[in-house]
Amino acid sequence: MAKAHESRRKERLDRGVKVRSDGVYAVASWREMAFLLGPRLLLIAGLLIMPLLLWPVPYWQKVLTIICIYSLLAIGFDFLAHYVGLVSLGGALYIGVGAYIAALLNTEMGLPLWATIPLATVLGGGVCTVLLWPCLPLRGVYFAIVSLMFPLLAARLIEAFDVFGGTDGVMGLDGFPNSWSEMYVLIICLLLALFALRRLVNEDVGLVFRGVKDNDQAVKASGINITTYKALGVFIASSLGCLGGACLAHIYMWAGISQFALDFSIIPIAATVVGGGGTLAGPVIGCLILVPISELLRDFGTLRIAVYALILMAFIVFKSEGLMSYGSRKYNQFEHWVEI
Amino acid sequence: MFEALGLMVFYENMLALNNVSLACGDNQIVGVFGANSAGKSTLMYTLSGIMDDIAKKEQMAGGERITLRGRINYKGRDISHDKPSKRAKAGIILCPERRRIFPESSVIENLKIGGYLAKPAQAAETLEYVFEVFPPLTKIMRRLGGFLSGGEQQMLAIGRALMAQPKLLLLDEPLLGLSPAIQYWLAKSIKEIAEERGVAIIVAEQYARPIMPIIDFGYILENGSAVVEGDKDELMNNPDVKSAYFGA
Repeated sequence: MAKAHESRRKERLDRGVKVRSDGVYAVASWREMAFLLGPRLLLIAGLLIMPLLLWPVPYWQKVLTIICIYSLLAIGFDFLAHYVGLVSLGGALYIGVGAYIAALLNTEMGLPLWATIPLATVLGGGVCTVLLWPCLPLRGVYFAIVSLMFPLLAARLIEAFDVFGGTDGVMGLDGFPNSWSEMYVLIICLLLALFALRRLVNEDVGLVFRGVKDNDQAVKASGINITTYKALGVFIASSLGCLGGACLAHIYMWAGISQFALDFSIIPIAATVVGGGGTLAGPVIGCLILVPISELLRDFGTLRIAVYALILMAFIVFKSEGLMSYGSRKYNQFEHWVEI
Repeated sequence: MFEALGLMVFYENMLALNNVSLACGDNQIVGVFGANSAGKSTLMYTLSGIMDDIAKKEQMAGGERITLRGRINYKGRDISHDKPSKRAKAGIILCPERRRIFPESSVIENLKIGGYLAKPAQAAETLEYVFEVFPPLTKIMRRLGGFLSGGEQQMLAIGRALMAQPKLLLLDEPLLGLSPAIQYWLAKSIKEIAEERGVAIIVAEQYARPIMPIIDFGYILENGSAVVEGDKDELMNNPDVKSAYFGA
């Protein structure tokens, strides 16, 4: 109720092209096509060109692969948290399970890399889903705590029983033929996962997912078994994580208990907060910002976490909606002052 | 004592309240009637200041932009920029729609939380009074708020509002979801409370039939505008009001 604007108010309206493309898909001109495709193409082209731009600095090419792995985890987290309603802190579990399965298939059974990665994705998703199945009826913070415990438990069990190479891990995996295949496999997987998930959440099954999140009792009353759908959601998200984990194992040519590290659980969540929850593309943008920052801050040693925490707090306090929601609002709507 | 002048509330670009003015004198009961989506709850939230809070939260989360215009005067002072807590300390107490009682606290605890602003002696006296107007509450004193029936919850919600020593009580849909018999009984209790405690009451309701007889002055809201206003007899004899609210 500021005095200066006592008789005026800021009006916010959807742009015409947004209204037309949302409702009836009546897009009239190349300009409007460009308006709609622009941001999507920017992301796709940007990610595809990035490895070429980073040609002179192989270190940052490595960072790019890590960004992609975190992004896979982050869109999985975003999907589970904002479309299925399960807050999963088990990112490290997915990475670890994917890494170990890929490593064992490769070293013990001699399967080549192009077979281990898809197999680890599907099998890993299955293993994680079976592990988390008993916790599926739990909601909110209970599911979060249980899913946080699994990676810690897995790491300690491997250490204590000295299985799968114990603390040394599984060594001697096949590497990718070259760093280009490394990056492009991950980038293409990430883009496919991103657009597939965006399509999925708007299909019928996506409506059920969102229903489970909003009001699971009403979904039950509609004759739908919510545990099955939650399991399917966990399977999708954990498969994405396992895919990342399998690639990570082949990149390092090693799988070990450090792949159950807490980082894999926390950074995706931070990226989702920064990028904007429920947007799916937001977490990818979040990872593109946060992972390089965390690399740059490596010089600060332990202060890294402090700076990181400050950035996160600033985002939560000042822009809790996230970059993606903010950006898409500015892009799709215009604002002007009107007299009341 | 209390007046609101030219209240306007926009939810994004939708006009929820359009230039609504209303006044409530000492010891008066003022009724605000309207169908769903007429703007009753928006009006109550605006008067109690909760709307400022909602607007702030929406802004933080990047949701819809809520714009408020207009002035609220209470005892000769402009309170339209005061926080809800400050308004409550000044004696404007909201009894919110759908009761919003604390489900994990017992009846007596709910009432004690309501009496946070009161002095201990006042609180003890009001507690006794609440059990006197709402005798059913005495039997279920120790039961948790979440296990009460709709009628009991509503009694508890009004009782909790009374514990805060209101000078102006805002009742938002007190009859929601209650059976007709309880509706009439509760309307009678509201009248009693106004007389015995010297409280001014603004009650927003869509069931006009039980409430109309107890009010001194009333407003009819339609699509955010106050279309008809008048005292009890004027409203009851207005043909539009009759057909809309009394089915005659």
